[in-house]
Amino acid sequence: MNSTVRYIAFKPRNVSYYCVILLCLLTMISGGYCAYMMEVSGHIITGMNNHVAWGLPHVFAVGLIVTASGVLNGATCASVLGMEVYKPVARLSVVLASSTLLGGLTVLVLDLGRPDRLLLAFTHHNFGSIFTWNIFLYTGLLLICVVYLWMMMEKRFNRQVTTIGLAALVWRIVLTSGTGAIFGLLTGKNIIDTALMAMLFVVLSLVLGTAALVLVTILLKHWQSTQVDDELQKAFNRMQLLFLLVLGIFSIVYHLINVYARQDLYVPLFTLTGGLTTMFSVVYVLTGLLVPLGITLYLLKKPGGIYKQIASSIMSLTGGFLLLYIVIIGSQNQAKILFPGKTVLASRFGDGGFPAYVPSVWEWGVGLGGVAFSFFIFLLLIRVFALIPESQPSTVSKLI
Amino acid sequence: MTNTIKFVLLLLGLSFTWVSLSGERGPVIPQGKGEVCVADTDFMRRNHMDLLVHQGDDTVIRGLREGPFSMADCVDCHVRHDDQGKPIRIDAEGEFCSTCHEYVAVSIDCFTCHAAVPDAKEPGSAHNNDHESDKNHRHRLAEQP
Amino acid sequence: MSDLAPDPVSCMDADFEHNTKANAARRRFLQRIGVMGVSALTASSLPMNVSRGGSLLAADIGSSAASDEPVSGVSSERRWGLLIDTSKCSAGCDACVRGCHEEHGIGVSGNDHTDAQWIRKIDLEDNDSGETMSLPVMCQHCETAPCVDVCPTGASFKRADGVVLVNKHTCIGCRYCMLACPYKARSYIHEPVTDQLSRAPRGKGTVESCTLCVHRIDDGQNLQPACAVACRKDAHSAIVFGDLNNPDSEISKSIREHDAKQVRADLQLNTAVRYTGL
Repeated sequence: MNSTVRYIAFKPRNVSYYCVILLCLLTMISGGYCAYMMEVSGHIITGMNNHVAWGLPHVFAVGLIVTASGVLNGATCASVLGMEVYKPVARLSVVLASSTLLGGLTVLVLDLGRPDRLLLAFTHHNFGSIFTWNIFLYTGLLLICVVYLWMMMEKRFNRQVTTIGLAALVWRIVLTSGTGAIFGLLTGKNIIDTALMAMLFVVLSLVLGTAALVLVTILLKHWQSTQVDDELQKAFNRMQLLFLLVLGIFSIVYHLINVYARQDLYVPLFTLTGGLTTMFSVVYVLTGLLVPLGITLYLLKKPGGIYKQIASSIMSLTGGFLLLYIVIIGSQNQAKILFPGKTVLASRFGDGGFPAYVPSVWEWGVGLGGVAFSFFIFLLLIRVFALIPESQPSTVSKLI
Repeated sequence: MTNTIKFVLLLLGLSFTWVSLSGERGPVIPQGKGEVCVADTDFMRRNHMDLLVHQGDDTVIRGLREGPFSMADCVDCHVRHDDQGKPIRIDAEGEFCSTCHEYVAVSIDCFTCHAAVPDAKEPGSAHNNDHESDKNHRHRLAEQP
Repeated sequence: MSDLAPDPVSCMDADFEHNTKANAARRRFLQRIGVMGVSALTASSLPMNVSRGGSLLAADIGSSAASDEPVSGVSSERRWGLLIDTSKCSAGCDACVRGCHEEHGIGVSGNDHTDAQWIRKIDLEDNDSGETMSLPVMCQHCETAPCVDVCPTGASFKRADGVVLVNKHTCIGCRYCMLACPYKARSYIHEPVTDQLSRAPRGKGTVESCTLCVHRIDDGQNLQPACAVACRKDAHSAIVFGDLNNPDSEISKSIREHDAKQVRADLQLNTAVRYTGL
């Protein structure tokens, strides 16, 4: 393997490439329209209400942000851990991370009640709030990504890459823990809940990020020959296997703790939450954990199954987003117990239970628009800057 | 190419000069009630936003509702009524706030929450009756000095 | 407020008193300039530009309104709270809810899950004794309020007198406080609002909750919150409002006497709304 990688701008001429760009644009436009409708009419047109205050847009926003953090792992492996095999995708990983982060933040902002007051979030702070810290963590990671990329691309600064890579590593672990803590730190939850949630998010981010990197590298290679070889895909597969295993363990522990805590009024998230979340729990365990685990294990023995790798990655991504749906929606989708030992006979506000949350088309629009926005920015950036490893005759892969 | 850009810029500059010289001297703002405002007009024009923001903080955080620059008082004085005597929203087109704000292209972030017309004062109105009678009875608390 | 600073105009002609509303407004302004003058003299925490503006204006008018009395406002010497006597509250009665809606100009669209729910009635049955009871639940005005902790901009805050409020000037509508509140006391305004009352500003895209009728508290006339007034008018008198910090107040005495409880006391939020017979 050649350790010096030449980078080029990504300018393929495939029909499918332009189709994807067009699809991204259309999804972005419809997402923008959905956000506009939510802004003009208010959240009344969404499925959200005073019980489920954070709906599908938050699932997409948090999903994208967490994925961004995980995608950056590719660069970390290359520049901090010194794994040569990841070198070709180091720049790619930073660019994909920043564009995904930007997409997630856009969705988060568009779902605010007053997106026009975004600047207020930077001028008025309550540092007692984990949310405030997250605002800085998100924007900070974006800044780190820019500097990271700059140092990678500027020869003079190449030696500083390890330092900034280390900063990025620490930063994103704090970021994902902080994002998890948003959901773990709520009143009525216990300390274990918070700690577990933070770790669950860290692992989830690694699973999501690796899956996204695998899919993107395969797609780019499909469009234009790049220096992404079998070794790299094997490495991705080994990494994903490890992450999936840890995610599985955390899921089991989290579930058990919740079931145990049920006696103390806290409702388990993976069961009994009603509506889509129950179904999603089953689907998550199957498609988000078991099947991808099986595939990655199989690929460990018999590498090179490109379609299996694609399938496993798509399933991991879907499963990860389902897990986020379960955590975010499931925790709100049940009545809070105000009076232990008493049964609610009547309440105008669903204290005894209320209809399950069903996301509206507008929320889907904003969420998918954010995904499309992320990918569009990514394609744009790699078209403008030299970020893609150029294919070299000696290392042309046998994958496709 | 650069010459074309220069020409376009020159045209733009000229057009601004023309607009600024062409007689229009700013918006015509409806007159409020009474003779004078709570402060000099010039002062209010420049500072009303800061005064309102400060008054807002005073009211919400410190509970000082009787400040001089109360939004409700502004609306009371500057609101106009239609032929039927119904008040017109102060942020409606051609009314006190919007004439100027539209001219300078600054959006107003007050009346999505604040009442843009004075409170209704019909004697038959249920809530007013309730409020007034309550005020008259002044249910004083025993523990108050 | 009127007794805070000497009114520089009140000594003028009597017909001045009977003049138009604008003059009344002007009089109030002059009074308040006095107040601002005092605050400028006592070097209060007013932001530069406005305190400058205030003292400048006062100087222009030549007001010598400086008074020995301090500027009033909320004080941490008091902590306002409610005591709800569940034995007096009857199932099926929602006078307090209606009273609240009228006071704050809250319209009801019919969708209970998206409408404002500042105060709601809950009917309960004890699982052991089978005893039934009815009670209103509103913002519990916690001493250590989770909604205040989580708010990113500090819009959700606790006034010095213990009233937990949303400062709608800085609320960006992120709704994290709604997730954090264990009582589900916070409502989000899902639709544009047009017919607000001047005493209760509220608008789309921000979060709101029971304000303990701060506008009445600040009125200085010792008015009771609208829910308590409505309840008394309906001859229940199940809601008592008062100062929890004053051991001799009616509410403090009743709380001691009846061993009033907090909802979900296990969360240790030290709520300002207490219930007897729970």
